[in-house]
Amino acid sequence: MPGMAVQGYLVLSAVLFVIGLVGVLVRRSPLVTLMSIELMWGAAALLFLTFSRLWAAMDGHVFTFMIVAVGAAEAAVGLALIVLIFRSRDKADVDDVRALRG
Amino acid sequence: MENGYWLLALIPGLPLLGAAAVAAARNRWSKPALAGTACAMVGLAFIATVVALTRYLGLDGAGTLQAALWSWGFEGVGLGLLGDAVSLWFALVVTGVGLLIHIYAANYMADDPGYGRFFAELNYFIFAMSLLVLADGFLGMLVGWANVGLASYLLIGFWNQRPAAAAASRKAFWVNTVGEVGLILAMALVWNAYGSLRFADVLPQAGSAAPTTLNAIALLLLVGAVAKSAQLPLHVWLPDAMQGPTPVSALIHAATMVTAGVYLAVRAFPIFEAAPVGLPAVAAVGAASALFGAVVAVGQNDIKRVLAFSTMSQVGYMILGAGVGAYSAALFHFMTHAFFKALLFLGAGIVIHHFHGEQDIRRMGGLGRQLPFAYWTFLIGTLALIGLPPLSGFFSKDEIVVELLVTGHPVLWVLAVAAAGLTAFYMTRLFCLVFTGQAPQAAGAKGRAAREAAAAREPEATHGRVDHGHHAHHHHGVHPLQAVPVVLLAVLSAVAGVLWIPGVTAVPEHFLGRVFSQYHTAAHAAAVAPEQAKTLTMAVLLVVAALAMILGVRLYGPGRQGAGPVLPAAAVLANGFYFDDLYRAAFVRPWRALAAHVGQVIDPHVVDGAVNGMARLAGTLAAGLGRLHGGYVRRYALALLAGTAVIVLYFVML
Repeated sequence: MPGMAVQGYLVLSAVLFVIGLVGVLVRRSPLVTLMSIELMWGAAALLFLTFSRLWAAMDGHVFTFMIVAVGAAEAAVGLALIVLIFRSRDKADVDDVRALRG
Repeated sequence: MENGYWLLALIPGLPLLGAAAVAAARNRWSKPALAGTACAMVGLAFIATVVALTRYLGLDGAGTLQAALWSWGFEGVGLGLLGDAVSLWFALVVTGVGLLIHIYAANYMADDPGYGRFFAELNYFIFAMSLLVLADGFLGMLVGWANVGLASYLLIGFWNQRPAAAAASRKAFWVNTVGEVGLILAMALVWNAYGSLRFADVLPQAGSAAPTTLNAIALLLLVGAVAKSAQLPLHVWLPDAMQGPTPVSALIHAATMVTAGVYLAVRAFPIFEAAPVGLPAVAAVGAASALFGAVVAVGQNDIKRVLAFSTMSQVGYMILGAGVGAYSAALFHFMTHAFFKALLFLGAGIVIHHFHGEQDIRRMGGLGRQLPFAYWTFLIGTLALIGLPPLSGFFSKDEIVVELLVTGHPVLWVLAVAAAGLTAFYMTRLFCLVFTGQAPQAAGAKGRAAREAAAAREPEATHGRVDHGHHAHHHHGVHPLQAVPVVLLAVLSAVAGVLWIPGVTAVPEHFLGRVFSQYHTAAHAAAVAPEQAKTLTMAVLLVVAALAMILGVRLYGPGRQGAGPVLPAAAVLANGFYFDDLYRAAFVRPWRALAAHVGQVIDPHVVDGAVNGMARLAGTLAAGLGRLHGGYVRRYALALLAGTAVIVLYFVML
């Protein structure tokens, strides 16, 4: 694989990750937060795949499968939580959900 | 040397068994069964002592009886019994006089609800005391010593509902603990210096230690002896110990326990002789106590307290004798004193019962006509204590005082003679006030007030115990169980002197001397020829005693007004030169203040403060850190990002 292509993947991964990160940090909707997290998962998975192909090793694939599986489970739990939050209050804002403050 | 002479184990063993049996059965058996068991055990122990004594005499001075009971597997430490002249001499008196007092108490305590407990504790005392004198080393002696202290504590506080008795028993225990600490420290030094705690290992090589060590050992042993024997300055517990029942006063605080210090001084005499300050210190303590006790006894008004200070004084004579190397004389005086002082205390018990619990001799009188039995027996005890010939006290006290002159201690001799004169005076005063003159008015407001005052003081009366009621019905009789021991003691007090008539017999000298000659044969350089010293001492003692008695009879005899003249400085004497107040000011009050300070300042503020401070610190920390924990998920994410950034930066910079 040509070096230029690798750099493209790496940049794409970094961009995706930063978008996800900024989304988590600035957006207050739980749904968007969840989606942003998924973006960061995707960025990580992309990075794994990139290097897996670069070094022709299968480890990165294994991790990617893992990320997909865990991500699916996480999405299920996260969505369930969000549904509950929606049910218990009028609007969904992550800053309202702070019952665990010290 | 005869090893494995197990009979010795019966002497402490049987009373211990008796104590356990009586204590276990105290609520089930009848009173005669309880008293009978206790008496039988002491009687059998006495017989065992006599048998052991015969066996010892059969050895013909060629060794000792021994029985090793227990060993911890290395040399020099263990529990064993040793029968030699000194220990058997003591055991004989402990079990013999102990038996008589047991018998006396069987009737004296007849109406006490704690009858079984009393005999269990009495038997336990005999066990402890015989272990003390029969132990073959310092360790066993200490075990006996501490048990004796406990038995004394239990018996002084026998009427434990009475605050005064409880306080007296605590006081005795504390003062004795001072002595035990001295003894334990001395034992540590002995172990260090000689590598053994057995008498047979230590005493023959006593002189091998450094003089400083020897001085320390001797003085620490002396602290133990002084505390147990109620010598200056640790005598303060003995007068208070009279709160116990009178048989206890007779047995423990007159005849046996208080002579444990004499036993220690005599048993460890090679150490005291080898230590440069050993004997002088012993002699000084003994002389000071002999004189002090006699002076204070003059000003006491409680019959038992007079006898208590008298005991202190007489034990002072024994210690004084031990301090000038007159060991046989000291032990002879121990034996005769056990007889006549037990006799006086048992007589005092009869007197106190007769006056319905009254103990103040100023409120007694005229008992001689009402109770001739008490009169005559008490008279024998009094004269024996004063030391008139041919009664036993004359010979034994004389031996000690003569020895003071022979060994060249004229100052001590003068002190001893002065104490003897005072002894004659206070005993005459006591005897006259109790037995001569007018009987106190039983009726009338004054008499009632006196009785009530007495009732407030005296245990037997406060408890509404019926022993006075019981005796009130037959005032003029003394129960045979009380009379027989008293008569036997009176006979012994009268005739025990024949054991050592100067120039005729010298049983104690020959019997006990074999122990003392075992280690040293150097005779004391006689400062004064013994014959002259003897004649002079005897004459002076008799003259002084006679003058003091005449003075006593003049002041307090039948012709006295009321309770006789009040002595100068009576308050000082009655308070025993304010030793109690001194100790209260010097030890008790500072200690209480310290305890209060600890309880009110140090405990709540320092100890609790440290614990509470830790909790408060944790709380403050948690409150501060908790503020970071805002509940905003996005802030956590930012913190994660920041942390990650720091870590990444760190590695990049590296």
